[in-house]
Amino acid sequence: MPAFAALRQFPSSDPTSETIVAVTPRKTRLRSDSDAAIGSPLRKSPRLCKEGTPHSSPTASIRKCLKTSLNLSGSPQKKQLSEDFVERQNWNPRDETQRRAANEALHVSTAQMNVVCRENEQNRILDFCKKCIKEEKAGSLYVCGCPGTGKTLSMEKVKVMLADWENEECIQYPDVLPINCTSLANMNDIFSKIIEKNHSGKKRSRSTSSLQQLQNLYSQQTPGMKMILVIADELDYLITRDRAVLHDLFMLTTLPFSKCILLGVANAIDLADRFIPKLRSLNCKPMVITFCAYSKDQIINILQERLRAVPYTVFQPQALELCARKVAAASGDMRKALAVCRSAIEILIGDSMLSSLDGPEDQHKPAENVSMSNQVRIDHVAAALSKVYKSPVVDTIISLPQHQQIILCSAVKLFRGGKKKDTTLGELNKYYVDVCKSTSIPPVGILELSSMCRVLDDQGILKLGQSRDDKLRRVTLKVDGADIVFALQGVRFFRNCLQ
Amino acid sequence: MGVENPAEVAKFIIRSRIADPLFVYSYFSQLPDSNYSKLKYIISSSVTEACNNSVLLLGPRGCGKTAVLELVLEDLLKEHPDMISVVKLNGLLHSDNNCALKEIARQVCMEHQLQFSKMASFDENSKFLLSILRECGLAHKTIVFVLEEFDLFTEGKQRLLYSLLDAMQSVSSQAVVVGVSCRLDADQLLEKRVRSRFSHRKLLFLSSPGEDFQRLAEHILLLPMDSRLPNDFRASFNEKLLNILAGEEFKGVVDQLCYSDSTVSHLLRFLFCAVCHMDLSSGSLSIQNFKSALPSIQRQPKQEALKDCSVLQLYLLVCMKRLEVKEVELCNFNSIMKEYKSIPDSFQTCDNFARNVCLRAFEHLLQRGLVSFQDNRGQGQSTEFRPVKLLISWHELQQGLQSFPSCPVLLHKLMAREG
Repeated sequence: MPAFAALRQFPSSDPTSETIVAVTPRKTRLRSDSDAAIGSPLRKSPRLCKEGTPHSSPTASIRKCLKTSLNLSGSPQKKQLSEDFVERQNWNPRDETQRRAANEALHVSTAQMNVVCRENEQNRILDFCKKCIKEEKAGSLYVCGCPGTGKTLSMEKVKVMLADWENEECIQYPDVLPINCTSLANMNDIFSKIIEKNHSGKKRSRSTSSLQQLQNLYSQQTPGMKMILVIADELDYLITRDRAVLHDLFMLTTLPFSKCILLGVANAIDLADRFIPKLRSLNCKPMVITFCAYSKDQIINILQERLRAVPYTVFQPQALELCARKVAAASGDMRKALAVCRSAIEILIGDSMLSSLDGPEDQHKPAENVSMSNQVRIDHVAAALSKVYKSPVVDTIISLPQHQQIILCSAVKLFRGGKKKDTTLGELNKYYVDVCKSTSIPPVGILELSSMCRVLDDQGILKLGQSRDDKLRRVTLKVDGADIVFALQGVRFFRNCLQ
Repeated sequence: MGVENPAEVAKFIIRSRIADPLFVYSYFSQLPDSNYSKLKYIISSSVTEACNNSVLLLGPRGCGKTAVLELVLEDLLKEHPDMISVVKLNGLLHSDNNCALKEIARQVCMEHQLQFSKMASFDENSKFLLSILRECGLAHKTIVFVLEEFDLFTEGKQRLLYSLLDAMQSVSSQAVVVGVSCRLDADQLLEKRVRSRFSHRKLLFLSSPGEDFQRLAEHILLLPMDSRLPNDFRASFNEKLLNILAGEEFKGVVDQLCYSDSTVSHLLRFLFCAVCHMDLSSGSLSIQNFKSALPSIQRQPKQEALKDCSVLQLYLLVCMKRLEVKEVELCNFNSIMKEYKSIPDSFQTCDNFARNVCLRAFEHLLQRGLVSFQDNRGQGQSTEFRPVKLLISWHELQQGLQSFPSCPVLLHKLMAREG
């Protein structure tokens, strides 16, 4: 089976991991298969694992093996790359296992062994943490960037790298507390979580809140207190009107005997400036690391890295480049790029299914043509991009029933000239009746008109206000007039009407 | 039980088919490139390949989004028993985060026969959700989250959406999130974080009248092989039906029907009405049934009210319209009477009724809903002095006059003078 033969080559160049046992392919690909392929000898059943720090989670054992394979990365990887170039076979989209392999490689949740294009930022975070731990001082760091730029992924990597470094240097490693601030029911829970983690032995007194307890603890010298590394994801959920919680959280790191290293992750670049001005005056602003949106080259790099796990050429290079260009120009969001690639694969599969229904004439095609047609081409990627970025408004307007199209047409005529932006239902009715009179369609009454407007309001094309009297309800267009004109240009009547 | 009239049996069969959404939408499952097959591919690939996915179903109300989803889920449950578990949430009921988590916990507990405690706190419920996702991921069981009225979940801080979509980004869970909404821009309402985690798959349910409807009607109305129906009856019924459906008149009726609303549920109502009009003695559907079903779907309540009016009431309505055109400020019964009295002056007519007769007619107009008081303030005053407004438009009044059986020519003239 080509799939497993190629996979076998990868870890065999790495002497520390085990060889894979040949597994007969099952119909449903189980998740445990992919873990086995990476070759983790220390894998225990995750059900037996207790909840605890990430150090005892099952993924840690897998990561230990990944780390060993990374450490020996020098020559075996180069050898593997050249092997890849020779080995690259043609991808057959009709083969289920190959299709699955490609989809798995491009799925957002697939764990990545090498995190490319973020080495710089990761090293900076790692250096900051190392410095704080060595000097046993507290500090705060703020990571910001648009969604899909690899922040959480990098934090995971940093945790792993930090654990290795501590193992090497034999330093007592701090407790790590990852919190996602969306899961906090109450803002102040974050402090009680910190206390629980760090000082689970100490009894909680009823009279003081967790915040006060923490402040008391950190104001006195307590020997032997372990450092705690708090990773707070989606920090802007903690923003309240008086910004107290966020402020107090960052202030914890400024107390004289504080042992808390705070890494905050959020989207807003100026969170520290806008919401925590006092810190600047105390001269302890958190260090800010910005994760810029991915550029075209970075996206191509990452996609190629992912596709390296699949031993076939799935994409033509121009197709990958088109995808990277478009996504980088729009948002630089890696998740979108992966979604576009998966969508393009699906379009290719759909096409190949349809062509296989065409019959045996295709067998006369020359061999190279078949191999070309089996890869994802530019037109597939273009179709996938348009599906992701196009809005469904134009299609929906084209398929609306006639009276609703006449309503939209009369609304466009009303709002033309830019004099007013909204009108009443009664006015719209007048224009609507005029438009209906110019063709010979009988107009519907005001009741039916108002219910049709409500249907359009439900769909988000119009916006209907509230009023006691039906005729006085305010109506606004939520869709651009140009879109409506474009959608209706196929019908001659509307074309003449909207000239 | 005597010999049943086969026409009655046929009527019963067709009506029960129309009322069963799974049968109706199974027509769409036969089309190769329909939304049914796309949705089925998405969910089944998540089940077999153990990957996470999210998809949004968009379309106007009544176009069959939920029905197609139910059909897909039912088919998949038959194909992969015990590998799918479904959690259904509705934006109207569960848009609050706490409520939604509790409901998810309740449904999961019910399905897996676990103990559900109503006292569980928000923290416990969210931990439960994460652990159930992990366990189901290990057991290779896919959870399908169906979020109806998806746009209502996007109000507020979108915590539920974020936590669901974020859990799907990890390898340990195996879930599909299906959002159903009638707002086209539902994914624009998402926050940027949530939108980044959403996979941008959208399936548009656009209603396609005309050709498709003819085939859908055939699918529903053609009688199947049934033991209660004699074969020759069935053959003749089907033949006559095919002739009607292919004819021009039927197309005209369907076009008129689709002017205002072309969703599938509207068309189903029309078919049901037509079948109810079926004449049992003739034993088959005729084009007349479809034509008579049309006005009962497209009702004009004001026209029906106008048909029952007396000539005097029509006079009063026309006088009110003339006052409106003259832009008289105060329109109450007294001013209407003044206008009414002025008619015999300009035209030679003997239609002149006494004041109390007119008042009676006016009160009847009020009761019928063609005229109403401007506001509820002057409750104590008598009917003659309170300001009133017309509830019927110029065009509807004109149409009503034209279809009135014995409308005096004078009224037309009066209407036309102002028009």
